Amino acid sequence: MGNKQTVFTAEQLDAYQDNPFRQRIAEVFSADGDGNMTLDDFLDMFSVLSEMAPRDLKAYYAFKIYDFNNDDYICKSDLEKTVNKLTRNELTPEEVRLVCEKVIYEADADNDGKLSLEDFQRMIVRAPDFLSTFHIRI
Amino acid sequence: MAAATGSAAVKTAKSCKKYRTVKRHAGIYTYQESWAVSNSDDDVSEEKAESHDPEQIFQNIQYQKEIMANIRCRPWPMRQKLRVLRQAKEIVLKYEGRLTRTRGYQAAGAELWRKFIRLAYNFVVIFIPWEMRIKKIESHFGSGVASYFIFLRWLFGINIVLTIMTGAFVVLPELLAGAPFGSTVSKTIPKEHADSAQALDTIWSLGGYLQYSVLFYGYYGRDRKIGKAGYRLPLAYFLVGMAVFAYSFIILLKKMAKNSRMSLASASDENYTFCWRLFCAWDYLIGNPEAAESKAAAIVNSIREAILEEQEKKKSKNLYAISLRIIANILVLLSLAGSIYIIYFVVDRSQRLERTKKELTLWEKNEVSVVVSLITMIAPSAFELVAALEMYHPRTTLRFQLARVLVLYLGNLYSLIIALLDKVDSMSVTVSVNNNASNSTTFLANKTLSKDDNLSTTIPGVQITKNGVVTSEESRTQGFMVPDSLVNKTVSVNTQKPQDQCWETYVGQEMLKLSIIDMIFTVASILLIDFFRGLCVRYLSDCWCWDLESKFPEYGEFKIAENVLHLVYNQGMIWMGAFFSPCLPAFNVLKLIGLMYLRSWAVLTCNVPHQQVFRASRSNNFYLAMLLFMLFLCMLPTIFAIARYKPSSSCGPFSGQDKIYDIVYETIKSDFPTWFNTVITYISSPVVVLPALLLLFMLIYYLQSIARSLKFTNNQLRMKIQTERTEDKKKVIQMAAARIQNLDGTDKRPEQESDIISQESSVWSSTPRKNGSVLNFESPVSKGTRIQTISQSVPQTVPSTDVARPVKATPTSTSLTPAPSVSSVQKPRNDRISNRYQSILHGSVSELCKTKPYTPVTFKKHSEDVRSEPLFRKGIRQVNLDALGAGAPVFVGRRPHATRYFLVNETESRKKSLRSTSQLQRHLRKDESGDIIELYPRNVRRYVVRTPQQMYSPNPSEDEEDDEELGREFINGSYRPRSLSDLRPAPRFYIGEHADGHVLMSKDLARVHYKSWNDGFDLDLDRPPYAYRKVHLSYHEPCVKPKPKQKLEQSLTESDSISIESSSDPQNSGNDQYIQVIHSKEKYPKPGTKLTKKKSKNSVDLNMPEPNELVCSNV
Repeated sequence: MGNKQTVFTAEQLDAYQDNPFRQRIAEVFSADGDGNMTLDDFLDMFSVLSEMAPRDLKAYYAFKIYDFNNDDYICKSDLEKTVNKLTRNELTPEEVRLVCEKVIYEADADNDGKLSLEDFQRMIVRAPDFLSTFHIRI
Repeated sequence: MAAATGSAAVKTAKSCKKYRTVKRHAGIYTYQESWAVSNSDDDVSEEKAESHDPEQIFQNIQYQKEIMANIRCRPWPMRQKLRVLRQAKEIVLKYEGRLTRTRGYQAAGAELWRKFIRLAYNFVVIFIPWEMRIKKIESHFGSGVASYFIFLRWLFGINIVLTIMTGAFVVLPELLAGAPFGSTVSKTIPKEHADSAQALDTIWSLGGYLQYSVLFYGYYGRDRKIGKAGYRLPLAYFLVGMAVFAYSFIILLKKMAKNSRMSLASASDENYTFCWRLFCAWDYLIGNPEAAESKAAAIVNSIREAILEEQEKKKSKNLYAISLRIIANILVLLSLAGSIYIIYFVVDRSQRLERTKKELTLWEKNEVSVVVSLITMIAPSAFELVAALEMYHPRTTLRFQLARVLVLYLGNLYSLIIALLDKVDSMSVTVSVNNNASNSTTFLANKTLSKDDNLSTTIPGVQITKNGVVTSEESRTQGFMVPDSLVNKTVSVNTQKPQDQCWETYVGQEMLKLSIIDMIFTVASILLIDFFRGLCVRYLSDCWCWDLESKFPEYGEFKIAENVLHLVYNQGMIWMGAFFSPCLPAFNVLKLIGLMYLRSWAVLTCNVPHQQVFRASRSNNFYLAMLLFMLFLCMLPTIFAIARYKPSSSCGPFSGQDKIYDIVYETIKSDFPTWFNTVITYISSPVVVLPALLLLFMLIYYLQSIARSLKFTNNQLRMKIQTERTEDKKKVIQMAAARIQNLDGTDKRPEQESDIISQESSVWSSTPRKNGSVLNFESPVSKGTRIQTISQSVPQTVPSTDVARPVKATPTSTSLTPAPSVSSVQKPRNDRISNRYQSILHGSVSELCKTKPYTPVTFKKHSEDVRSEPLFRKGIRQVNLDALGAGAPVFVGRRPHATRYFLVNETESRKKSLRSTSQLQRHLRKDESGDIIELYPRNVRRYVVRTPQQMYSPNPSEDEEDDEELGREFINGSYRPRSLSDLRPAPRFYIGEHADGHVLMSKDLARVHYKSWNDGFDLDLDRPPYAYRKVHLSYHEPCVKPKPKQKLEQSLTESDSISIESSSDPQNSGNDQYIQVIHSKEKYPKPGTKLTKKKSKNSVDLNMPEPNELVCSNV
């Protein structure tokens, strides 16, 4: 995990305020689901987001992060949220809809109109830069 | 009601699918399996406590260790991880000593060692250079820019190693033990140069003191052994020179292999453009508002771009664009040719100047490297401008740009090295001439006729001058051209000392010079293009007539691709020159350090995050591939020079030899024992070399053919997946239609559906329902493969079936019609979750307990669908066959099958750890006796849950439609019997029917499966059965209660060990007694599995249908 640093400066913590999924990450890793993290949760988060975490583990948590309504499927509403967060609402609804449809069309192997964990994993493990981007360096 | 149950069933169906796919993927996602294994931690510990068998203990310990090793891979909360880890450690500690003392010591030692390693690692991490810097850049610019710096750091590491190699084995020995400076001719500065040796001018051009230092080849002594220890410097020099290349190759290839392993062969035909753009778009490393903003913009761009591409996938190319592109390519080619010509011209000119002019100006001395650096700096920008003409897609543009720049760099290096070698050629020729001249004073023989005229004049001239040695080629050439001025020329030329003719030193000088100038230009370009531009834009924009920041000059972007190429180019120079200038790697280390600081500073202060997304990880291997390419190409000239040219006679470690590599032969000949010598001669003789070469070729061919076949199978598998998916979709559409019907219609509808489905199934299989055996034949292969997995689990299956039955009883008793459906609706959720993330749920025992009570209904389905694997299917099919002709008894038999197979599957999953399976058995048995569900390990629980649903489904169809559909399908047949025996026997019928419905479904599944047993298919297929069940759920069940218990008992007793024959007999005889029949049927599958675990199954299957049919006739 790089050079050891025991204390976070306020600046460094601020540095991670730009992630569009920050709230979501906190929710996923917190035990109560509200984003309030205990030390264990915090450790969890960094063990998953560290460079050394295995790909499948990362994929699993990435899935949870993108699954906004916690129903174990990434459905259209989740996708729309993702798109809007990523693009900061710059796409038109029409475009967003198109993108969501496309995503589901591409990755939905069982045709249930939403992405299950398996669909997601199958898709994400083949992504060339998932591993390199889905981690945090502290 | 029907609709509600239907939806519930659908949900469960889906969850089942998911679960199954998870299982399928288990091979890929190894951690999932490990989860499953780990779930039974508690059980394992229990077992340990009981067992004293050392082997078992050992296994346990290994298992616990495995847990410890993999704990990081599990998606558990930290607390649980810690708990499990602690537990595992305790167990290991407790039992490890029990085995043997040495093992205990080993373990302790390993533990200590691990701690030490960890400590050392933590310590080492502190010394990873520039970590914080890179992180900062990462947070500002994302992983793309950071990848440049990481690459830079990696190159730095390589150069450090190269430096150590050359430093420790060549430079240091020479400095310590070699002849001191000034002791020999080759180590002294010639007197004429002594005055200017310290002049900045000379130093700058790497002459003077620098030229006669360890920096260059020429300085190294030719003594075979130096120092007291007799260090063989020449040999070491040669070997290190080769080792530099070897090491670079190895480290590069290793890194590439690692990278490609990491990136999991992303098949190009996988189409996930949108997915990746969405889910992999955000760079979690970014932690800077500005970067975040530009990243968001980039994402928007890329998504829009993807949409556009999607909308007009085929853009008609107009003539205009094509002509523009042609022009652009012509321009690029011209500039490439031009740059190559210029370099060649400059080198040529500098040589001429050197010949004709005595004093060279600073410019003339550095002309070559300056021109080369200028070209490398300017041309890429020119290419970029040209690329704007082409109007390609940005990605294509980038690719073109990279290719062009790479070609440019290579062209530059090659034209330079060729020009240099040209010069070397002439130098070495003249040197040889001179040698002859000095020895015999007749160099007529070597000279061409045309020279003869001049010889007489040159020789006196030479002798007049101080050294009797005539040196350079100038004397010769001028002899041709300007005979009159010959004397003068020769005089001037002869002022050069012999060691000047050291061509190796010359090449080394040129490379080092090139490297230095390149560094200067890099610095200059960073300052000019980035820094001053940034300054201007920043401070002048207020008083300028347009917005400098957003319009023309803007801030510089960090061009990852070009910068990486530049690094590659730089490293290429080092490799090229390292043999002739042993200190080049050391210099490069300094250069890289400087570059690191300067670049990182420039990036952070004057650059803006780039708009264009250059995929970092994909580029990783791309960088390396370029580097490898470069290494190879840079090695060629060096190897060529070593092999082709005679080392200069007056300087360097190889002087006096005919070829540089002769040193190896020489050493072998003189310093090794004679036997080794003979061995070497044998080995190097054609007798050995040729066969070895042949062998290598054969090996290459073999490996290549294997790779090709693997690729082929890969493609085929992918095709299969594809076809599965498409067929899947068809199926889904059909199902959707059926479901709609289902929802609309009343009770009758469902049955029709079932018919439809069954018809479908028949369509799928060439031979429809009647002969189940045929089906089996169709897919013998798949059986064989799957059977293996099943074999181990078989013993357990028996108890499991028993267990399943009692469960059945419970649900039926509790709720007749509506209740089960409701429960199913709610529960599926829980179940689903639990199934999918077993590990999580199981990890926390409390959760498990919760789920159990609810689950019965849902679980069964899950397990069935999820687990349906070949064995079970077979069993099911057989049942179907029976069902066609047979009445009630047969159906009863089926039931058990279904339940059974779940269990088996479970065990399969567990198979990996034998211990766990053994545990299962135990628990199951307990259950049998006690009927207590909760006591079971989690696996068992699941099984139990499943049965109830099946029970419900069969009834409804029977009541109404028995008569109508008899003729049509076997299903109908099955219904009938039920109607006959509504009161008592009814339950059995249900079971049977139920089984039929199942069977049909399973058939479809199985067939599809066989055709291509990939994930996609199974999933969709699973659905149909559910639809059925939903409908059916509400109607039946009342009668079921009494039966199951009876069954349980019987099954317990009989199931243990019965051969096929025995089982078949009871069937025939036992038509009257349902119970017995049931037992026998259950047994069918079992014996098959037990007796003939793998191969005999086919035969068993064949046998099976017959008895069933018999039974039918009886009925």
